[in-house]
Amino acid sequence: MSLRKIFNEARLMLLGIVIFIWTLIPIYHLFVMSITPRVETFAGALWPSRPTLENYETVVKQGHYYLEHFWQQLWNSAFVAVMVCAITLAIASTATFAISRLRVRGGRLVSNMALATYLIPPAFLAIPMYKVMGVYGLLNTQWSLILTMVTFASPYAIWVLKQYADKLPYELDEAARIDGASPLQIFRLIYLPLMAPSLVAIGTYALLLAWNEYLYAFLLLSADKDITLAVALGHFLTTDDAPFNVLMATGAVYALPPAAIYYVFRRYMVSGLTAGAVKS
Amino acid sequence: MASVSVEAVRKRYGALEVVHGIDIVIPDGEFVVLVGPSGCGKSTLLRMIAGLEEISGGIIRIGERVVNEVPSKDRDIAMVFQNYALYPHMTVRENMGFSLKLRGAGTSVIVEQVRRAAEILSLSSLLDRYPKQLSGGQRQRVAMGRAIVRNPQVFLFDEPLSNLDAKLRVQMRTEIKALHQKLKTTSIYVTHDQIEAMTMADRIVVMHDGIVEQVGTPLDLYDRPANLFVAGFIGSPAINLLRGTLRRDGGRNWVATDAGIDLPLGGNAGGKDGQAVVYGFRPEHLALGNDGGLPVRVDVVEPTGASTFVYADLSGAQICGVFTERHGFHSGETMHLMPQLDRVHLFDAGTGHRLVG
Ligand SMILES: Nc1ncnc2c1ncn2[C@@H]1O[C@H](COP(=O)(O)OP(=O)(O)OP(=O)(O)O)[C@@H](O)[C@H]1O
Ligand SMILES: [Mg+2]
Repeated sequence: MSLRKIFNEARLMLLGIVIFIWTLIPIYHLFVMSITPRVETFAGALWPSRPTLENYETVVKQGHYYLEHFWQQLWNSAFVAVMVCAITLAIASTATFAISRLRVRGGRLVSNMALATYLIPPAFLAIPMYKVMGVYGLLNTQWSLILTMVTFASPYAIWVLKQYADKLPYELDEAARIDGASPLQIFRLIYLPLMAPSLVAIGTYALLLAWNEYLYAFLLLSADKDITLAVALGHFLTTDDAPFNVLMATGAVYALPPAAIYYVFRRYMVSGLTAGAVKS
Repeated sequence: MASVSVEAVRKRYGALEVVHGIDIVIPDGEFVVLVGPSGCGKSTLLRMIAGLEEISGGIIRIGERVVNEVPSKDRDIAMVFQNYALYPHMTVRENMGFSLKLRGAGTSVIVEQVRRAAEILSLSSLLDRYPKQLSGGQRQRVAMGRAIVRNPQVFLFDEPLSNLDAKLRVQMRTEIKALHQKLKTTSIYVTHDQIEAMTMADRIVVMHDGIVEQVGTPLDLYDRPANLFVAGFIGSPAINLLRGTLRRDGGRNWVATDAGIDLPLGGNAGGKDGQAVVYGFRPEHLALGNDGGLPVRVDVVEPTGASTFVYADLSGAQICGVFTERHGFHSGETMHLMPQLDRVHLFDAGTGHRLVG
């Protein structure tokens, strides 16, 4: 290896390390504050002098005014996220199957229009969406949030899934048709299994989009027992002396499920099941 | 098993017609090869028979039944694709059993049929592998296995060997032919490789630009090509074709080329005196003439061992000869070559049709 090459790699490595640290600082901050006793909150130490788990205990035992419904709210977040994930997957997989595999007339238009919806930032649609939910009498129910999030997740899911679906060799469908499969059987027995990795990736996307949503959750839900954890976290900031340590501990708990999901499904995000289908 | 008949079949994509009315009758049990240059419509025709493309005009029958409106799955056919199209998430066993499973066959029937097919194709030891764990030749065999497992009326093949290397292609060619001799299922096989067509077919259909140029047994096409296209397409090295004018004078016939060479003809040649014609003879139908033959200058000599290819110049036209004896040609030398008169083909230069006497 030439000196020049070593130098180049060292430069890239250095850049990588800087970005890595930059990314980790807020998370480190969150963690440190979550294990710092209340009295020391703003001591500014790199590591608390007396690390403690008392903040987590407060969270788990719902031992604070803002945390009275912690478990209920955690459940709400999970329920909303899982429903959004499931419905988005159902919509995106059937839509892309129709567009890409059954080649329904006008399918391309639909998938292009789906992408065009992203020209409008979701925040602009907050008030219209609020009205729509009001008209259907869904305000203050979790279904309003679920349907809203599905609306925002589906176009992107369809777009991405279509890219993958188009890559599946069309001969597989033709072979299956000749073998005697109906469109539904092709969907179930060929399409879904082969799209599984992309479906996991898209499902994760929808799940996390819903899990992390604040604006619409805040707008559409109000009862303490209905809101998601993201909104509950926001409530911490309504006073001047917010209990930051407890807030950070709650935040840490809130961040755990997404991290776990990424970790579990990291394999699917990269693997390609289609290897060997056709000679490349 | 069943016959297949194609009657005045057309295919249009929008305003563009790519298949212009094709008639072929394939008797029960025959192995027919559709051959032709790229883009001539052979895949399109095969896919119409398979039910993968709509038929824009005409009638396709499998057995007695008109299948124009019958979906693929009810045509009782099996197809082998160029890229195999194996289901990547299924084992070889599942790939082969898939069609039976869809048709609601019992487990014991599936097991037995898959076992039988695997035995025929020597796949028994590979049944639990996934397609990606197989070599190209093995994948090819699985694709065949998937086709034969349920005993269809007709096998359809679309260039099934073109992804294999040359050696394997020759081997699989033989295997497919042997398989056909064993199963005797009506087969339609598409290829652009005329050697594959010649070696495998009971009958060959030569296609060109969406029409059928000629239908016949391999030797028919070789010995009596109906037109210039078929003459040029079948045979390797290609037939020698020389332009000229037909001359008849008393009992003597010959073709005079523009370069002033007189090409000899037998007594029974067709055509009129003065007609513009193309004179054709195959490379292996040349003999060493003494002084009587055509004077040529040898350009290139290619010995293959079994035979020797000689490329030579005949007053500006390049001709090729194939000799099984080792005459010891040298490039640069001038010699005399004589076409076998009973093997000379004569075509009308305008229409390209064969002239018969
Ligand atoms: N979907 C389509 N739309 C328009 N034209 C098409 C379509 N499919 C095929 N064609 C045209 O039809 C003609 C015949 O195509 P086909 O695939 O049957 O050729 P082929 O004989 O199988 O050639 P190859 O040896 O290259 O496979 C071609 O000119 C092709 O461009
Ligand atoms: Mg083709």
